[in-house]
Parts: sequence; structure tokens; C-alpha cells
Amino acid sequence: MIRSDLAAKLAGRTTFGADLDRPGMLWAALVLSPVAHGRIRRVDLSKVRKAPGVVVAITAPDVEKLLPKGSGDPERPVFPTREVLYRHQPIAAIAARTLSEARAAALLAEVDIDPLPIVDDIETVFPEWPEPSKKPNSAVVAHVHARHGDLEAAFREAEFVHSETYRTAGVHQVALETHACLAEVEGAIWRVTTSTQSPFSVREDLSSQLGLPESAVVVEGSWVGGGFGGKTSALLEPFALLLAAAAGAPVRLALSYREEFLLGRTTLPCVVRIESSVAKGRVTGRRVRMLLDCGSTMPSRDFATGYAITFLLGPYNVDTFEVEGYGLRTNKPPFGPHRAPLIPQLTFVIDSHMDSIARRLSVDPIAFRRAHVWHEGDSTALGQRIGPSGIDSALERAEKTVLRWRGNAPREHGFGIGVGYWSTGVSAGGEARLRLTPQELVIEQGEREIGSGSVVRGLVAVAERSLGLPASAIRVAYSDTASAPFDSGVFGSRTVGALGQAVQKASEELVRELEARTGTKGSLRLEFDGRSIRAVASGLRRPIAELLTPEELNEGGLKAHGKFYGPPMKFDESRVVAGSFYPVADVVGAVHLAEVSVDRETGAVKVHRYAAFHDVGVALDMAMVRAQVEGGVVMGLGTALTEESLWSSEGSLRNPGLLDYRLPRLNDVPPIEVYPVEGFPGAGPFGAKGVGEPPIIPVPAAVANAVADATGARVFELPLSPERVARALKLL
Amino acid sequence: MTAPPTITLTVNGRTLECRRVPDDERLLDTLRWRLGLKGTKEGCRTGDCGACTVLVDGESVLSCLALTHTVEGSSLVTVEGIAAEPLGKAVVAAFQAEGAVQCGYCTPGFVVALTGLLKERGPKASREEILAALSGNLCRCTGYSPIIRATERLLEKHR
Repeated sequence: MIRSDLAAKLAGRTTFGADLDRPGMLWAALVLSPVAHGRIRRVDLSKVRKAPGVVVAITAPDVEKLLPKGSGDPERPVFPTREVLYRHQPIAAIAARTLSEARAAALLAEVDIDPLPIVDDIETVFPEWPEPSKKPNSAVVAHVHARHGDLEAAFREAEFVHSETYRTAGVHQVALETHACLAEVEGAIWRVTTSTQSPFSVREDLSSQLGLPESAVVVEGSWVGGGFGGKTSALLEPFALLLAAAAGAPVRLALSYREEFLLGRTTLPCVVRIESSVAKGRVTGRRVRMLLDCGSTMPSRDFATGYAITFLLGPYNVDTFEVEGYGLRTNKPPFGPHRAPLIPQLTFVIDSHMDSIARRLSVDPIAFRRAHVWHEGDSTALGQRIGPSGIDSALERAEKTVLRWRGNAPREHGFGIGVGYWSTGVSAGGEARLRLTPQELVIEQGEREIGSGSVVRGLVAVAERSLGLPASAIRVAYSDTASAPFDSGVFGSRTVGALGQAVQKASEELVRELEARTGTKGSLRLEFDGRSIRAVASGLRRPIAELLTPEELNEGGLKAHGKFYGPPMKFDESRVVAGSFYPVADVVGAVHLAEVSVDRETGAVKVHRYAAFHDVGVALDMAMVRAQVEGGVVMGLGTALTEESLWSSEGSLRNPGLLDYRLPRLNDVPPIEVYPVEGFPGAGPFGAKGVGEPPIIPVPAAVANAVADATGARVFELPLSPERVARALKLL
Repeated sequence: MTAPPTITLTVNGRTLECRRVPDDERLLDTLRWRLGLKGTKEGCRTGDCGACTVLVDGESVLSCLALTHTVEGSSLVTVEGIAAEPLGKAVVAAFQAEGAVQCGYCTPGFVVALTGLLKERGPKASREEILAALSGNLCRCTGYSPIIRATERLLEKHR
């Protein structure tokens, strides 16, 4: 595999956020709220401040004294001033000479909070459900509603209306490295080095939350020990920076694993009522209603409800529909991104439902999907045109594989298909600078590698194809937000598709400049002999050293700047009744096939074989595609079978650890076959499509449909724990 | 109260003295923060993830669960020293060839644990035995498939 980061990682020489230190560094700990909801009467840190080793301890009133402007964003105070909104919400922070002193001191904080009633279960706060809310409900942070066509007529004229209710659990990202950062305040500069997927998002968060100009905040990304969406915005950085400002010393703050579970912003539970009218073997209309647990999200900061709900219609054509969703505020940490946030869960809903209708009609479930699936030129729910789409081609290949597998599997095994899609974040912009020296090409950019390889390999692959250089001549440079070109960050499977286009444009500018200098046109490529780079075109073969000016040779080489900001996208606003929806950017489809058996006594599901067919547009590096698919499938098996955040009625997470929150382990993993579907180019460079998130999306659906195929019983709730399967089999 | 003792350890071939080691200091913290060997990763600190695996006198140990004073006088190998051993070098090469690394945070634990397993059980150990024993190490990125392939590659080579 071509990745320049592997050797250092294998030798233990890579510095992650959790590994950062500085001379004279202090260690920090947080004081966490003992209740999930309450009015703060008193936070007294006097005993904390006298504890051994403690240098500073801060809480809400201290913040304004530390900030140059005296206050930050009143909507997002660093520490709660009047009310705590979730259990374990940080209410004070401590810096001490050692970690054990900081943590011991945290226990001495005297916190007096009057408990208030809590909202923990979304189904209890919404008595009208599944009917729309008739009166204002203070728990609603988002209400989205869209419709198209005459749904009532479709339902009236249907042969039957298939109605089901599905429930999905909260799941955690569980990156192996917890959130960790190191803060330093020097004069007017607030500097933090942090394990983040998006240094520029963290800068924006800090700037707005602390009321600092962006130029006063410098964020440097470290190597990231797994992100999966959990490290896209600021979490610990405000606490660490304020402690550093108060102490006048560098401060390290890293979450313990337990705290990572308790404070992380994760996917939260969801309930969906889905109804489809069916006539002549086709779905003629569909109504979906969704309740989403948004945790203690501020109404202005809900991102999930409107973007997610249209996924409940699937990658399927339907003449008429209505979708209505409510994002509900509960006393949990705010909902946060998690590798295609909520979409594996909603795909489980729509694709279980499609499978269930096919079985009710006694038609082949794959043929049934193929009769409805999007092709190029079809429209999304909100009337956007679909570009080249390989989903049907993937279904066709899955169909053949099912036949082959059924032929050589034990009779009690079941086979299930999951069909999913993702809208990659190619509309979020970014810039890249290239520097061509006689010996190497340097890609200067503002992202950090989080593990998928999209930066360390993906951007390099784009430059390779654009210029003809081998990977060995290309280096990715990382720097802080003060010097790197802007980029939106690693999320939405956008790095290759969006930032890659900036690299492609900068490459084209380099070529144009070299062609101008050499009087060639249209065919110039670069070659590398292991030591130096040459420009090659018909009748031309010259070392780069001869084509650069003396200034360029002295000042870092020939430079080119590429910018990519996606064009604004529109959808049919006339279909929107209420709320904020998001346009679909680049549709990327995937079809998965699972072969399972079900233990008829315990309800335990075993996955025997797995195949994943992915619409990748053009694969820039097949080994990297395969790596993303294999990893995403296994993460999805966790969502499908074992992973579930469990809350008590007091709003406490009951399983904040790896013993009780079970991730897939090495010996749980079935053989996974990965098949790229090419020939349906996407919006990215050379027709590439994003591949980071799509692999997790169809997994729970594929597994649930295989369980239904094996047993005849459908499970309407994620994860498919032995208990839930046993109930579906009427064993309990 | 007596002063905490001085602990002598041989780490990656170098003998080192650690002064005033508290009784409750974990080997993980000694390695990372006293000796600066941060290749050994801190994951869960509860023995559930395997990221902190080191070899103590040739055997895999979760350094988050081992108190430093209990390994006094032992010979340790961490990821920083693993490639100095022929088996360790082979494991690193197999992981590199199969691309069994993404974010790299679990990687040191896997490399050390697999090296330890191959040492302990010998090159004739069965694939199933090795993979079952490796299942205490968690990886969230790779889906384990390339780690399984790297292990198979190693076992084949040593047959």
C-alpha cells in the first residue's frame, strides 16, 4: 500500500494529540455535573484551589475575567451559568502539576444544583406521535416538513398501505484515541494543538465561543487517532485555553475513556413511522414521520433533522410523498456527527421496509428494489437531478452473487441486501498550494490525516494523475491555521472530492506555467528519476532546476494555488412546507449483501460472508477504496448487532466503557468481498466519488434483511441484539 | 512513610533507573511520561483495548494494568524496539505490505501483541489460535481484515 505515514506509525514515532507535551506543562481535569438537568445554586472551588498541586481552577464567573472582550457567545457559554443540561456537562476545570493531582482536586469541588425534571425518552415527550404536533412543544428544536404530489389519493387508491415503526439506538464513534489537546496562550495569541478532523472549524468555534478575532486563534492539528465524525468541532479546546490563560503555562487536557463516552457528541436514538401505498407491485406513495433525539442541542445548531429525513425515502423513485420530522431536545450531550450521521440507521428503516413490502408481495427483494431505484436523470425527493449512478449496476451484481452464494450455503442461512446512498460533502470548499522544487512536489493544505488516507494518499493520488509524478516525489505538508490555506475539514467524505479539486486546479496551473516557460502546449508531464524532477513534452526533456528562476529556487520553488468552492445548489423549495433542508451534493451508492445464521435458542446472529458493491466513480487507488470499505463494513456490523448507548432514567449513560459497549472484535469479522462499480463518474477529480462514509451505510439493513430471510421474523429495532432477535422469534 | 523505591528496568536493550516511583504508578505512565516512549499508546486504561501492549520478559502485558514496581528488574520491549527483533521486523513488514494501518493508534499494540504471540506460541501455532488471541486488541479503522491477512502472511512465511 502506498502511504507515506505507515512506517512512522508502525515504529510508534507518530505524535497524536494524546502524546503532546511541553516543558512546564500543566495537566487538566474537568468537574462534571452530577445531575442531568438542574439550576445551579453554587459552584465553590475554594477547596479545589487549596488542594496539593493545583495551579488554577476556573468556573463560569472566571471566564469573563480571562477573555479580552470579557465575554464570549452568550448562546454557548464555556461553562453553564444558570442551568446544566446534561449529566456530566463540564462545570469547572482545573490545572495542576500532575494528572492525579488534577483529578483528585476535581472531587473536592462543591457543587450545589437544584434538580429539574429531565427529558430522556423522545417517545414520552410527544403525546400526539405519530400524528403531527398540534401545539407548540418546548422540546422541539427542529421541525421539518416536505411533501410532493397527492399522497392522500395514492393512499386511497392503493391495494394496501404497508405501515411499520422502527427504532434505532444511539451509537458512539469510539475512536481509539480520546479527545486530547494542548493549549498555550502567549500575549494575544491563543494557540491550541489538538486531535481534530478540522482545524479551521475548531478555529471558528473558538473564535465565536470565546469572542476572539480569528487572527488571535491558532489551531494546529496533530495526528488523529481516529475521528469518525467525533472530532469535527471544538470540545475541550475552550477549557484548555482558558486554563492556559489563567495559569500562564501550557495546559494539556485529554479525556479519559470513560469521559469520552460520557461527553462525546454522538448519534442519539430515533423513531420512525413509515407507510407506503402499494399498487400493481409498485410503491405509489410514501409517508414518513421521524422523532430524533437531538440531546441538549441549541435550536440554532441542529444540523441533523433536515439533512437526514429525506434519506428515509431511500435511493428510490416515488411519485408522491410526505416527510415530517421533529428534532427533540433531551438531557443528553448534544447530537454529533458520526460517520454518515444517522444514515446507517435510517437506511436500516427504509431498506427493511422495502424488503418487507417485497416479501408481502412475494416478489424477489432485489428485483423489487431495481424497479424503484434511481438512475441518472431521476430526481431526489426535493427535485434535484441525479448524476451518473451505479446503484442499479451494483444491485445487478449483487443479484448474481446471491444466486451463487445460495447455491453453496447451508439451508438455514439467510441472505439480505442493503441499499444505501450518501451525499458527499463536495459543496464545502477548500484551497491547496503546490510548490514544485527540483526534487519534490509539496502539497500545502489545511487538513490533518485522520486515518482513512484521504489526505496522505488521496490528495497525492490526485496530484499523481494530474502531473504524471509518482507518489514518491510528492509530499503532503501540514501546518497550523495561521499559515495553511483554508479548508473545511475532513468530513462528509469530501477530502478527495472537494480539496482534491483544489489540488487538481493547482496542478493544472503548474502545468500551464511550465508550458508557457517551455513553449509547449497540451502535453507537458512531470517525471521523477528518484532524485530529480523533469518536465517532459514532445521534443522537450528538461530538469525543473533549469525552468525555475533563481528566486524560485531560493524561495521554495514554483508555486500554484488552487481553490475549490462548490457551486451553490438548489432544490425545489415548493416541496418544503417547514424547516431547513439541505441540497444533495454528489450521490454515491452502495449495495451490500450479508449471509447470516441465527441461533434459534439465543437469538444470536452470526455473519458468515459479506459482499460490498460500491459505486466509486473512478477509483484513484483501489487498495484505499478496499481499506475504507472493509473498515466501514465492520463498523457497521457494530451498529447492526452490538453497539448501543444505554441511558438510565436519571439521564446517565449506563455503559461508558468497552466492556459494556461492545465493538466488533477481530474474531467477529466475516470474510468481506469488495467490488468497485466503476463507469458512473462523480463530482470529484477524474470522476472520483467519496468512499469514507458510504461503506457503513447499508450494513444494518443488509444484516436485518438477512435475519428476516433466515427466520421469517423481522426485527424493527437496532441493534439486533440477541434479546431483540429472540423476541422477534417469540422465544421471549 | 518510606521514600518510593528506585526501579530498574531494561527497555529495548537499555538499562534505566526510575527514581521515586510511587507504588500506584502504572507501567504505561512510566513508559510514556517518565521515559518519553510514547509509541506505547494510552487507550482505555482498563485492559479492554490492547493499545498499550508491551513485552515483559518476552510476554505480552497490558501496560495500563501493570504497576511499574511489579516489573522491577524485567526486560521490556516496546514498539520503539520491536523492529530490532527479527520477528518484530517481520510483523512490521507484513503490516506494511497489507496496509494493516489506518489512523495508527492501535497499531503499536497490535504489532507488539502479534510479535509476542508468535514468540510465545511458536511459528507452528494455528491461524485460529493466533487470531483468537489477537482478539483482545481493538481496531476501529481497518475492520481487522488487513490485520488478519498480515497475520496469515506471517504464518505462511514461517511454515
